[in-house]
Amino acid sequence: MNAIEKQLYAKPRSNVYIYIISAILIGLIIGSVFVIDFESMGNSGWTIAKNILLGIVTPDLDLLLNFTTQGVMYLLLETIAIAFLGTIIGVLLAIPLAFLSASNVVPKPISWITRLLLIVIRTIPSLVYGLMLIRVTGPGPFAGVLTIAIVSIGMLAKLFVDAIEDLDTSIFESMTSIGCTTFEKIRFGIIPQLTAMFLSIGIYRFDMNLREASILGLVGAGGIGAPLIFAMNSYRWNEVGSILIGLVILILIVEIWSNNMRNKLVRG
Amino acid sequence: MIEFTNVDKVYPNKVKALQNINLKIEKGEFVAVIGLSGAGKSTLIRCINRMHDITHGSLIVDGTDVGKIKGKEIRNFRKRIGMIFQSFNLITRTTVIKNVLVSFVPQLPFWRKMTGLFSKRHKLKALTALDQVGILDKAYVRVDQLSGGQQQRVALARTLAQNPDILLADEPIASLDPVTSKQVMDDFQRINQDMDMTVILNIHHVEVALEYADRIIGVREGQIVYDGPAHDVTEEVLDYIYKGKAEEVKQEMDEEGVYV
Amino acid sequence: MFDKIFPPEKIVLPNGKTVLEKRSRTPLLFIIVLLGTFLSIRFTNFDFNVLVKRGHEFFVIINDMIPPKWDYFPSIWQPLLDTIMMSILGSTLGSLVSIPVAYLAATNMIKNKVVVMVARLFLSILRTMPTLVSALIATFIFGLGTLAGTVAIFLFTLAYVGKLLYEQIENASLDAFEAMESIGMTRVQAFRYAIFPQVLPNYLSTSLFCFEGNVRYAAILGYVGAGGIGLLLNEGLGWRDYASVGMVLLMLAITVFLIETVSEYFRKKLI
Repeated sequence: MNAIEKQLYAKPRSNVYIYIISAILIGLIIGSVFVIDFESMGNSGWTIAKNILLGIVTPDLDLLLNFTTQGVMYLLLETIAIAFLGTIIGVLLAIPLAFLSASNVVPKPISWITRLLLIVIRTIPSLVYGLMLIRVTGPGPFAGVLTIAIVSIGMLAKLFVDAIEDLDTSIFESMTSIGCTTFEKIRFGIIPQLTAMFLSIGIYRFDMNLREASILGLVGAGGIGAPLIFAMNSYRWNEVGSILIGLVILILIVEIWSNNMRNKLVRG
Repeated sequence: MIEFTNVDKVYPNKVKALQNINLKIEKGEFVAVIGLSGAGKSTLIRCINRMHDITHGSLIVDGTDVGKIKGKEIRNFRKRIGMIFQSFNLITRTTVIKNVLVSFVPQLPFWRKMTGLFSKRHKLKALTALDQVGILDKAYVRVDQLSGGQQQRVALARTLAQNPDILLADEPIASLDPVTSKQVMDDFQRINQDMDMTVILNIHHVEVALEYADRIIGVREGQIVYDGPAHDVTEEVLDYIYKGKAEEVKQEMDEEGVYV
Repeated sequence: MFDKIFPPEKIVLPNGKTVLEKRSRTPLLFIIVLLGTFLSIRFTNFDFNVLVKRGHEFFVIINDMIPPKWDYFPSIWQPLLDTIMMSILGSTLGSLVSIPVAYLAATNMIKNKVVVMVARLFLSILRTMPTLVSALIATFIFGLGTLAGTVAIFLFTLAYVGKLLYEQIENASLDAFEAMESIGMTRVQAFRYAIFPQVLPNYLSTSLFCFEGNVRYAAILGYVGAGGIGLLLNEGLGWRDYASVGMVLLMLAITVFLIETVSEYFRKKLI
């Protein structure tokens, strides 16, 4: 065996590992092809697809620019209101939970229990909360607000905890040397560090909540989702088109705004 | 005036950080404390404003017996002593002026502490302090956008705004490059001369210490082994302070590119 | 804009120097948030009294879920499997298709601005569309069932992975790419051998992360008839059979937890 062949066989062994993983993956994919049922697609599918596209290209402009309670503008505003209020309540609930689960603030067992609670809250899908809360408040945007608030808690608290555990405590040393009390250290050393982070996290979640709020209407929890599903069920594709256009534009605008704001907050 | 009499400092883990320190520093002196890392430089400085408690002996700072005061007295006592740190210890996410204003926090009335609104008088004082270290134009810039040297000047301004009698500095230039180190050391010198403020700093760079300080204190294994004017420091003295490692320390610094 | 309406305050130092202090934005921000909250409360009929009076109902439901109905398990595992398979197929196809789309959306690969813009617009619109809405549309085109759900997941994955991938391609170093082009490779070949290896670990990690999220999404797609476990959730909640809902949620939580743990393990290995 010459040196070149030796080098050839000396190639790291991780290949076997990669082959096994790939085999498992391919097996899973092939398996899933059998599970997915392709028969369900009828001939009408293409006609409907064409109609939907036509509807989007020729939206119902009256509905889109209508400012009455039935119009897209009003519904979008309602969706924003649901997302906004939901985010505010979510933030208010998440802040104490975040402090209770920060391992550098409370004893280990308490932080552990709070974390478990947060994981449980996060696992339940938003639609389930929506359906449950409708039983409490009746259908309408109020249920949507509560749903958004609960759904946001999990992620907000988790990101808040990261911010709290990342606090720069070196400032304490210098504040001690200035002669500050503990209260003063929290007020002028911690709060300025946290507000920028918390605001940025809140804005990020508002952006996500807007998407979340737009589908809550499907279960009757207010916002633009309900009219969308009605329009679809009655094959009014022009209305579907105008609702979708309004929704996509709104979400894009909010996303751009949220990215700008967060950049400003975090980088100054 | 600062007066150490037979001061010992033992850490809870039984490490003797300072042994039998006797020292007198007059108002307006510029003192550099040198020695190997772990020799007790930092402990010595931190005893002066009671960031560390002393175990035995007495330490009198401007008539106050530092070992005997407690609680609110300590906080009031600390207001008269400024301190600068190696890592600047600033709130990086807010503006420069807000960092400087922190030095007025202990004297604010309660409602101002809650709202975080500072009076015009305090703002003027803070801006004046920033002007003294030459970064007035950065007053409303966020700290994380400044260079290391500028950040150390913000820390210096914060201390000046406190209007202290004594300025302590714990390795103030250890995380700065040679050029900015020189600027910061010049600031210290100017403050010492113009405002007649006592400056005590511990420092890793011997050359810098010898160039700027009037008086050198050599610390070795928790004891003072040299105390005298900077121009009397000879190779032998340095060799003794650094346990014969003076050459190594120097070499290390050449590698870091220190030339001031 | 703000500085024009509220001009900065001029502060004169004792030594005659002047500084401009910009007015604080905090009060304005505070008023906007307060006003927004007030309007939102009006808009959404938020009523604290209802919450106080009927809030306990929510916990009654949760109480009904515990203990879950264990013997419901046999009817759960098939839809659960469907959900997972939908996510796997949709995520895999989505990640694969995202490569050419991301290539077309990267400004350093494609010099034609129109192509880049169209590709980006396509990705943005897909990303903006909530998964449930695309699933709903898919059920109209592909009929009720798992295919519709797979399509919805495919579209979301394509948009999400595509966006992150084109950003990574744009940040990749072009040195090797230029060298390969200079030895006579086409741009696509050079991309394959110079850029793709650079972005591969991140790409795989992003795809895995997206897959994790997709399992959660897939779980609710059944609500609009797009197959999987969501259908059971819908039925259980509709019939107020909360013990069964509890069982479904428990199984879902275990599945999501397992998948996240495995996927997180591989993602850590990749980076």
